[in-house]
Amino acid sequence: MTSPLVDIRGLEKRFDLSGSLLEQITFKNGRFQRRQEAVHAINGVDLQVYKGEALCVVGESGCGKSTVARTVMGLLSPSAGEVHYDGQRIDDLKGQQVLPYRRKMQMIFQNPYASLNPRMTIQQTLEEPIHFHRPELSRNEVRSKVREVMESVGIDADWGSRFGHEFSGGQRQRIAIARALAVDPEFIVADEPISALDVSIQAQVLNLLMDAQETRNLTYLFITHDLAVVEHFGTRVAVMYLGRVCELAQTATLFSEPRHPYTQALLSAIPRLEDDRPNYIRLQGEVPTPVNLPSGCVFHGRCPYANERCRQEIPRLIATDGGNQVACHAVEEGRL
Amino acid sequence: MKNDTPLLEVKNLDVRFAVRGGDLTALRGISFSLDKGERLGLVGESGAGKSVAAFSILNLIARPGYIAGGQILFEGRDLAAMGERELRRIRGNRIAMIFQDPMMTLNPVLSIGTQMVEALKAHRRISTKAAREIALSKLRKVQIPSPEKRLDQYPHELSGGMRQRVIIAIALLLDPEIIVADEPTTALDVTIQAEIMALLLDLCEQEHVALMLITHDLGVVSQVTQRMLVMYSGRIIEQGPTREIINDAQHPYTQGLINALPQMGEPGARLFQIPGSMPSLKNVPTGCPFHPRCKFATDQCRQTMPEYVRSGNVDVACYEVSNLIEQEKRMQEAGS
Repeated sequence: MTSPLVDIRGLEKRFDLSGSLLEQITFKNGRFQRRQEAVHAINGVDLQVYKGEALCVVGESGCGKSTVARTVMGLLSPSAGEVHYDGQRIDDLKGQQVLPYRRKMQMIFQNPYASLNPRMTIQQTLEEPIHFHRPELSRNEVRSKVREVMESVGIDADWGSRFGHEFSGGQRQRIAIARALAVDPEFIVADEPISALDVSIQAQVLNLLMDAQETRNLTYLFITHDLAVVEHFGTRVAVMYLGRVCELAQTATLFSEPRHPYTQALLSAIPRLEDDRPNYIRLQGEVPTPVNLPSGCVFHGRCPYANERCRQEIPRLIATDGGNQVACHAVEEGRL
Repeated sequence: MKNDTPLLEVKNLDVRFAVRGGDLTALRGISFSLDKGERLGLVGESGAGKSVAAFSILNLIARPGYIAGGQILFEGRDLAAMGERELRRIRGNRIAMIFQDPMMTLNPVLSIGTQMVEALKAHRRISTKAAREIALSKLRKVQIPSPEKRLDQYPHELSGGMRQRVIIAIALLLDPEIIVADEPTTALDVTIQAEIMALLLDLCEQEHVALMLITHDLGVVSQVTQRMLVMYSGRIIEQGPTREIINDAQHPYTQGLINALPQMGEPGARLFQIPGSMPSLKNVPTGCPFHPRCKFATDQCRQTMPEYVRSGNVDVACYEVSNLIEQEKRMQEAGS
């Protein structure tokens, strides 16, 4: 197989909860104690994104999918692990060195009401990244570039003098997409780009993203909680639970033959139009807190197939037939 | 199951909002009914007026909004014309409401038990001890683990799914006739959503409570409800048995809404999309409010609002549909 465009290796991210040294120290039973706590948002994620594909990362809130997106973009620095782009390690680059990668990698955020600067006209919003990343372009060239991206996302190019608040949610998300496309990136990280939109608008924006992928030969890392969208959009899917990837598979395979018990439960919970009643695999309990991770498999407390080994040993992603990967002892041992 | 007089009957309801420069019409001629123990879904995109419709049933429209016309008959009595004192006897007692965000509904500084006892005491002359007993039995009903402990806990100590269970328990406290649920699972993850929806459905069936479910999720509507209304721009454009509408929608908007769902399309293919977006209440188009987005729109659609026509068991407000029905009739007559 060809080398991946983006290679995420052993990524970990912890968010410290305990504050400064003085805040960590407590006096209890006649003794000083130092206590450190952290949210373990990502705990060892390996993912490869290949050129031209749309890798979807799905999971429920708190599973670390957005943290993966932000770490890949360099908005957060990893606690451990590496991010490589086109063979070059990028997570430890400083200052000017990052710039060429920023141009190649762009991000689309969930909430188009928060991601557009309310004090900038659309023209300014779209010109800014071009000025920044391609200072060699003349004013006229920048203008024509802006017109081109606006038209490509279906926004009238004459609306440049308007402000963000004059547009509807769907139009704003188009503008946010235009901003990402303005510097001709190769790789786009989209963090729940359609979750804040209405159904009929979701379809418009998804179509736009698919068209852009085709015409501009883009690669996507697509973060979402909506499995129906994944089934439609994704080339491959990574299912995350509590900061770990529990299953990684081709989209069609994942939906027809989910292997991991969590994936099975997740898929069964999608409300389908053909259903007459909610029809789903009931999981025990709730997602544990990422502050104190369970030992062994993070899913063992809710898994109907868990045994002693699952409680002790962390399962590794193992290859199953068809080039898919699943992290589950039960699948490995043939119990499932 | 159909009784002669429905439990709730809304007739020609108009709700307006008095704003500077004239009134905005949020609901226009809404008519529907709800039978005892029936589950009704209210579907539409944001701004369609579904929440206003739900609030107005309890006469909870706050200024500047007001009920400009029509009747809301609950057991034959008009809630729209009722005084505040009488209304209070019905709200929460005979008609309960569940809102989208459980954290906004629960008082953060009172324990769950206090809030439940408070609700009971507001409507019944009852001792605190007896009220706690009832509260406990309702918490058991919504399958909360260790309910005795929950009574003394505060909302922030519970997870999102657990809070929504508490809300449902509170709604059930006074054995209401109707539960109005406004997007009860939108803030929750899919697996939790599936659990909450299954619970709500089971409880409504067991206790024979009527449910009015407001949602934008057609999958949920299809799983839970027996009949559905589709709203667009403050009007009901289609209503009838859920299965019939989901399987064979008549109104072009409903068809578009269903076909725009990623689960309806071939994976990877372009999704069906409705062009444009819903008009704002400030400039609702004349005639059928959907005409600027409709591919069947004629001059008639642009000028006058279509009346409801019946197709099967479904009422639709669309000239295209009524013309088709006319044509069919003529064909049949010509044939015989």
